[in-house]
Amino acid sequence: MQTWDMGIKELQDETQDESMNTELLTVNMGPQHPATHGVLRVEIKTDSEIVAQAIPHIGYLHRCMEKHCESIDYRGIIPFVDRMDYLAAMNQELVYSMAVEKMLGTEVPRRAQVIRMIVSELQRIASHLMAFGTYALDLGAFSPFLYAFDEREKILRFFEEISGARLLYNYFWIGGVWNDMTNAHVSYIKDFLDNFEGELEKYDTLVSSNKIFLERVNNVGVLSVEDCFNYGATGPVLRGSGYKWDLRKVEPYLLYDEVKFDVPVGTGERGSTIGDCYNRYIVRMKEMEESVKIIRQCLDMLEPGPVIGKVSKVIKLPKGEIFYRQECPRGELGIHIVSTGEKTPYRVKVKSPCFTHVSMLPFMAPGQMVADFVATIGSIDIVLGEVDR
Amino acid sequence: MHNDIASLINSSVPGANASVVNPPEDGAGDSSVLVDSSKIYEVCEFLKTNDKFPFPVLQVISGVDYVEYFEVCYMLASFNLENSYQLILKTQLKDRENPELQSVVPVWAAANYQERECYDMIGVRFKDHPDHRRILCPDDWEGFPLRKDYEVQKVYRGMEVNPEAKMNFEDREFEVRKKEMEADLLKRQLERGH
Repeated sequence: MQTWDMGIKELQDETQDESMNTELLTVNMGPQHPATHGVLRVEIKTDSEIVAQAIPHIGYLHRCMEKHCESIDYRGIIPFVDRMDYLAAMNQELVYSMAVEKMLGTEVPRRAQVIRMIVSELQRIASHLMAFGTYALDLGAFSPFLYAFDEREKILRFFEEISGARLLYNYFWIGGVWNDMTNAHVSYIKDFLDNFEGELEKYDTLVSSNKIFLERVNNVGVLSVEDCFNYGATGPVLRGSGYKWDLRKVEPYLLYDEVKFDVPVGTGERGSTIGDCYNRYIVRMKEMEESVKIIRQCLDMLEPGPVIGKVSKVIKLPKGEIFYRQECPRGELGIHIVSTGEKTPYRVKVKSPCFTHVSMLPFMAPGQMVADFVATIGSIDIVLGEVDR
Repeated sequence: MHNDIASLINSSVPGANASVVNPPEDGAGDSSVLVDSSKIYEVCEFLKTNDKFPFPVLQVISGVDYVEYFEVCYMLASFNLENSYQLILKTQLKDRENPELQSVVPVWAAANYQERECYDMIGVRFKDHPDHRRILCPDDWEGFPLRKDYEVQKVYRGMEVNPEAKMNFEDREFEVRKKEMEADLLKRQLERGH
């Protein structure tokens, strides 16, 4: 058995001899570290190259958005929700506005629903492209990052045209969407999708089937379905462990029950184990293919009509509370709104998938090499804006 | 379904006093199940392991400050592909000075971070928590931000919090003016209506 195949326990057993005992070394990874995807500090205690313990320290980006929400009216909260997960702002807006609509009982016009689906799936692609690019960057491959940003840029350009902003959109309003899509937009998206399918094949040959990449991610950070349930993991992390759970399929919202798509899960192909970094990664890549399918079907469903429903000028939610969740690119985002019938919410609480996934790091880290730990952080794809809120 | 769960809890965990809370008549939203705070651990353990309505996943713990009491909501989900359901499990804490609950970390590992956040934001302490610290705010921060009577501390480690020179008072004044204008407008509209 080679030293790098041993866990920390075996290594300690090996070095029972007093003179051979190694001292644990504390290393701070972050808060400014390229591999932590933002301002996350992970305090790692290492035994030579093996991580014995990892303690994430979060909160560097804490803006207490939940407190702010208590003093802002319901429409004004949407820009705040944007700033949680700034890489998938459209999806966050969708969860929030649909939670409010559910409380109000607002009917959203069909065209608005189709546009919402198109836009949120495009956002999912953009977010997964970012995850793909930075993950390759973490593992030492620079060019996939540039290819991914090339495609992401095209999506952002479309978002800029439709909403006026590149990153934080304020595009989904309560009752519908702010701006209508034109035929030019439709043909732009069609062109993008035609080109993008070829790009996906390119990523597959460039990264997904690359021997060096596979060696880095196979059998690293394995999570079973039970672990995922225990820690409350959702999204690609849960699906990477082989559990076919997708809220778009299980509890369809919008018009997801009218389109045909598959839920990709980790299958342990190319020499990997189900639930390891590779499977979490490949689930995202396959999800992009599914998103392309969904958008194509949605473009055919577009019919002329209004894009915003009837909503009163001053929104007052009826008394009560709601917990509403949806499938966002990084997992299930839930919003708990407590209303006392005022113009402002009494309490807004966000269930952030990234927060849940960060809590798994101390569980996954022990026994890993430091370089594998970097691969593990990248594979759960966290955005610190959402962790800290 | 919530009625079934409440009666199931009552029959299996004595003293839990589970009752269904429905949204008010003029309201909307989800109903929930309220249990006694002293039996929260037993109830959670039972909900996770029972055969009829198992809840293998704890999604989030959300604390709400209702001024007279604190409410801690546990959002549970089945994650069952055939039968997906979820539950808002609630408990109330009347003690404002020293609110305390039994930690449910042994039941769901997810509770570790969620309880820490709940403590950080609302100030509810969790008994027997393995790592009871603040999570988002610094460890030596004073007060609990999401309480309704929270006031930001003036000085933190020798630094002035929200220094006047750096505050944007124009925006605040504008907000106040806007509120006055809105109230004025509403008044005039009402006068015109009658």
